[in-house]
Parts: sequence; structure tokens; C-alpha cells
Amino acid sequence: MLEIRWHSRAGQGAVTGAKGLADVVSTTGKQVQAFAFYGSAKRGAAMTAYNRVDDQPIMNHEKFMRPDFVFVIDPALVYTTDVTINDKENTVYIITTHLSTEELVASQPKLAGKNVYTVDCIKIAQETIGRAIPNTPMLGAFMKISKMYDIEFFKENMKRILGKLPQKIIDANMLAIQRAYDEVK
Amino acid sequence: MAFDKMELRDIEVWDGNFAAAQALRQCQIDVVAAYPITPSTPIVEGYAKFLADGYVEGEFVMVESEHAAMSGCIGAAAAGGRVATATSSQGFALMVETLYQASGMRLPIVLNVVNRALAAPLNVNGDHSDMYLGRDSGWIQLDAYNPQEAYDLNFIAFKVAEDHDVRLPCMVHQDGFMTSHTAQGVKTLTDDQGYGFVGEFQPMNDMLDLDHPVTHGVQTEEDWHFEHKARQHRDLMLNVTPKIQAAFDAFEKLSGRKYNMVEKYEMEDADVAVVCMGTSVETAREVALEMRKEGIKAGVVGIRVYRPFPFMEIADALKNVKAIGALDRSSPNGAAGMLFNELAGALFNTDTKALLSGYVYGLGGRDLTKAHLRDLYKELQSNVDAGKVTTQLQQFIGVRGPKLAFL
Amino acid sequence: MANKGWDEFEIGAMLRSFEGPIKDIATTHQEDRAYSGNNSFTASVADWRIEKPVFNKDYCIDCQFCWIYCPDISIISRDKKMIGVDMDHCKGCGICVEVCPTNPKSLLMYSEQTDEEQALAAWPAKDTSKADSKGEE
Repeated sequence: MLEIRWHSRAGQGAVTGAKGLADVVSTTGKQVQAFAFYGSAKRGAAMTAYNRVDDQPIMNHEKFMRPDFVFVIDPALVYTTDVTINDKENTVYIITTHLSTEELVASQPKLAGKNVYTVDCIKIAQETIGRAIPNTPMLGAFMKISKMYDIEFFKENMKRILGKLPQKIIDANMLAIQRAYDEVK
Repeated sequence: MAFDKMELRDIEVWDGNFAAAQALRQCQIDVVAAYPITPSTPIVEGYAKFLADGYVEGEFVMVESEHAAMSGCIGAAAAGGRVATATSSQGFALMVETLYQASGMRLPIVLNVVNRALAAPLNVNGDHSDMYLGRDSGWIQLDAYNPQEAYDLNFIAFKVAEDHDVRLPCMVHQDGFMTSHTAQGVKTLTDDQGYGFVGEFQPMNDMLDLDHPVTHGVQTEEDWHFEHKARQHRDLMLNVTPKIQAAFDAFEKLSGRKYNMVEKYEMEDADVAVVCMGTSVETAREVALEMRKEGIKAGVVGIRVYRPFPFMEIADALKNVKAIGALDRSSPNGAAGMLFNELAGALFNTDTKALLSGYVYGLGGRDLTKAHLRDLYKELQSNVDAGKVTTQLQQFIGVRGPKLAFL
Repeated sequence: MANKGWDEFEIGAMLRSFEGPIKDIATTHQEDRAYSGNNSFTASVADWRIEKPVFNKDYCIDCQFCWIYCPDISIISRDKKMIGVDMDHCKGCGICVEVCPTNPKSLLMYSEQTDEEQALAAWPAKDTSKADSKGEE
């Protein structure tokens, strides 16, 4: 079982990202689950979304999770929420920030000694898609770090999932995914 | 058919709401009268979009309340249409008055209830308060544990409800957010398979049959009311169960997916059993397997058909266990829990010596964790070891503050 | 329909108006319709009356006012000609008499036991004072 927790703000696309990832993974014959914590959340409020991936049918519906991966797609959440809660010794963090990994860990001591990667999904999204929607670039970074799928295979599947959007937006998302794949450190 | 078919992949990643909306499309609903409410909104939104995009032939009636939504459904069903809607929580509560009209008028409406807590305090998350509120309303109630089942049970609901020996409305329940907003793989039927399963709508006493004028919703008073209600109860007790079983069998033939009145998991040699509904059934299944590795013979019983209540089937499922935990996701507010009471009733005149204890859990969406269930199984096992219920009969799982226990 | 058991009626809170299928109901007169026992047409409310309307066709102008206003659909009219009153369904409310515009009225209320022939023979004459007063309104 692979478990992922997303830290996001409502409106940044974490739910769409989690469902998109689940969709891609499902095409490879694996079992998937994607869900989120809602509430009367307003756009901009901190929220979490989740993925589970397994070879067996996923029967666990508890919201509690000890994640293998933590995605943080908004740079401020590292400071205003505890992104390390319920983590494991080998939990991998992919965090959106303009800082280098060293600078980030120095600014948030809770991350010291943890397996942290950084990529500026906000900047990438702004420069490619034109809006600060950092969900798809995060998935590009995840493909690089996890080596889950070949990036071209992943992009092809994401094209299908984003199929209803205008071609310009799809192309921009592909560019964003590739840039995050290349830039994550 | 004058609408477009939709090509689906064999497995789509859908949440429970979208799965239900797709089932409504494939069943080709004539009328949806709806007033949206979280977390059920995407079901009727989905139908409306399919309608606007030409994937279904029907009418979407926008109304001013859930009371009006079900009233619109009643009118459309009495007129002779295939009718469905969806609601949750406060909307369901407002709909209750009309639920009794729908069942008393024997109208085969399908209502998707995305289970959610009832205020106060206001809460959009999932528990079973609204489902429990509907249990005396004369509807058939089916319970889904995951998005796949929310999809499948809609087809089964129409098949059973519209049968002329049944003609009773049917609710399909799924857990708010835990199923409705959780995307999982859903094995799909093709449009032809799905529609072929439910078939052409067969009207009965419809108001649009102008050669046979009929008055619906009549007044009876004391001289006839009891006979009508007795007939409805009789049909629920005797006619519905065989039709549900036939629909389950036919659906298994079509899809390979098997449903049962009472779902039994690891029950063949179980000493301790948890009885619950919704997503909790699946989490408990996973925990039961883990407990077995620790030497506790744990099993799970899930209620699939909540009304008519599978009285005999559940007594049979539990006949050999030594301790039972009845898990209610609704505050009984001054009584033992519903499942505790129903199980006690089903088992009372049998030879069982099982120790029955009740638990209230998960109100307002409070997480039921695997750790909770592990502790529960251990407690049931300690009851078995002691030969008696070692706790009070009613306890709470996952509530903060000093321990609460009653009875 | 009285005292049927739970197994003796059709399901649902519904009642049929007619025995068997009915074609072209709009052009079929009430007396020719196969009303079912559940239809109020087959129930008589004649015994509810204390007073009854008597119809005098000599003064009737077939204005149809009584037909429109009758709350029990008890005015029988054929081809827009007033024929009489359905005495099985008339409850004796007197509205038909109230709305009758002729002078003298073409419908008047009498006690239930009054002989119709005698009532017609003693029908009041035109009220001239009323006609005079009209001009002063």
C-alpha cells in the first residue's frame, strides 16, 4: 500500500490532482483511492487530500494515514500547519517553495533529518498555465522522485484526463509537469 | 433511442456521487426533481449535465425545497415516469413527510441518500442519522459501502422498485464524503447492459393512461387506512426480499458482482463479529483479517438491505458467534442503538448464547480508525473469555472527554 | 367498496373512476359513463336535502349560470339547454336559485315534500317593483 497526503489550499486543485493521479494509476491495473477532508471550507482555507494505491482492493476507509509521501502544494502551509503529522521514518516530502531544500529545512526545523525535496510548483504554474494552480506540476515532481511511471506515459494519460479543457491549457499543463519533473531537487 | 450513448472504460475512477449519476443516466430517468444539498449535490448536477449534453432524454425540475423535490417526483411517478432524485441530511429531514406519501402511493421512485449528520450542530460530514430517520417510511433501503456499490445498487433499486409485485420506492444509501467524494475504481456496465438490466419502464395505474382514469393520493380515514398500511407492510415483508434476491442474482450474472441481503465476511468460524453499515464494513473487514493473524477469530457482518430488515438472515449469520458488537453511526438519543435493538430482536428467540454489546461511533464524520476496530475486537474477545459482557451495554467509540457508557 | 380486506383492493392510495377502459370521455354524457362504485357519481346525497330546487322551463333563458355555479355538478344541461336538476347529487344549497337572472326566477327552492306540479302551478308572477327599482341604482 502506497499512501500519499496532500497539503493544499481549497481551490489549488489538490482534489483534482489526487483524482487525476488515481485515474492514471488505475489504468495500470492497480487499485486506487482518492479523497479529501472537506468541511465548510472556503477557497484559500488549508485542507488535505489523500491517495491510496495498492495491488489489492482497498477496503480501508479510515481517514487516519501514515503517509509514504507528503505533497505540499502551497508554500505557506509548511509554517502554518504541521505537514509532518503522523509521518513515518521514511516519509518522503515534496514541497512547493521558492527556497532551496537547505533553506527550507533551516526555516522549518520540523523538517530536519527528513527526506525532503523541493520544487517551485507555484512559479512553474504561473509561468506555464498562467495561474497559481500547482497540482499538475506536483505530479510531475512526484514522477521524478518516486520513479512510478515514465514521464511520457504519465503525460499521455494526463492529457486524456484533462481532455475537456482547451488545448492551450492542456499544453501548458504538460509543460508544467515536465518542468517540475526536471526542476525538483 | 434519441440520445447519445457514452463510451466508458471498463474501469473508471469515480467517486460515489458520479457513479450514482452515471447509473441514473444509464437507467434513462424520465424526471429528476431536485433541490441540491451537500454532499449529494453532484448526483443531480451530474444528471442535469448529462441531460444538457444530450446523453439522456428527460426533464430536470428545479424546485424550491426538498419537500417540493420529492413532491415533484411523486407527481411524475404517478404520471407514469421513471423518476429519481438525491438528497442528504437536512434535506432528507424536510423530505420525510413526502417519503410516506411516495411509499403509500406505491410509486417506484429511487432516492439516492448520501448519508450525512443532522444538525444541530450543523455538519456536512457523513453519519447515518438521516438513514435511520427514514427507516419507518415504507421505502426499501439499500446500503452501499463504496463507489462501485453506489453504482451497482442504483440499477438493482430500479429493477426491484418497479416490479409490479413490489411497486415501492427505494433508497440507495452511501456514506457522505467517505463514499460520495472518494474516488475509486468502478467497473462499469455499457449503456446497453445497464439499460437492458432495468428494462423499459412498465407503468402501472399511471395518470397519463387516459383510457383508465385514476385518482391518486386518496383519503381513507379509519375505515381503510389500516388495510392499506397492512398491505404495504405485508408486501415489504413477503414480496420484496425474493425480488431483491432475484435482482442480485441477475446482476451477478450480468456483472460478476455478487450482493447479499446480509454480507458476511470471515464469518464461517468467527468467534467475535462486528455488525455495521457503510464504509465501516470494509474497514472492519481489513481489521478482521489482521486480528486473525493475532489469533482472534474475527468476522464482519454488513447490512446490505436495511429495509425490509433481514431479520432471519442476520440471525442465521450470527448463530455461531460468541460475541457481537453492534455499531451504530447515529445517536440513539435515549435508547440502545438501532442495530443493537434489531439484533437483539432477531436473536432473542434463537438458541444463540452470543454476548451482544452496542457501540455508538463516527457521529458527524468522526473517523473510525483501524486502531478503534482493533480495540473493539479485543474487547469482544475479552467478553468471550469472561463468558459475559464485561462492559456496559452501550459505549462510545472515538468521542473525546471522560468515558461515556450506559445500560 | 365498504369493509374490503387488505387483499381485496389495488395497491396504492388510488381509486378508479370507471369500470374498465373508457374512450372519448369528454363527449360521453354522465348517465352513459360506466362509473365505478368508487366514483361519487354512484353515491346519492339526496337525503341530505331539506329544501329542493324546482325548475320552471317557461322562464328559463338557458344562460347556464346555474350550470356554472352549481358546486355539485347537479344541473343537467344538454346542447346548452337547461333540462333539469340531478336530484341524486343536489344537496339543496340554493345557489342555482340565487344566481338565476330571470324574472320571475326559473328555479325556486321548496321544501323537500312539496309537490312539483303544485309548485309550478303556483309559480310567482313577474316582480314589477324590482324592475322599476333597477333604474334607480
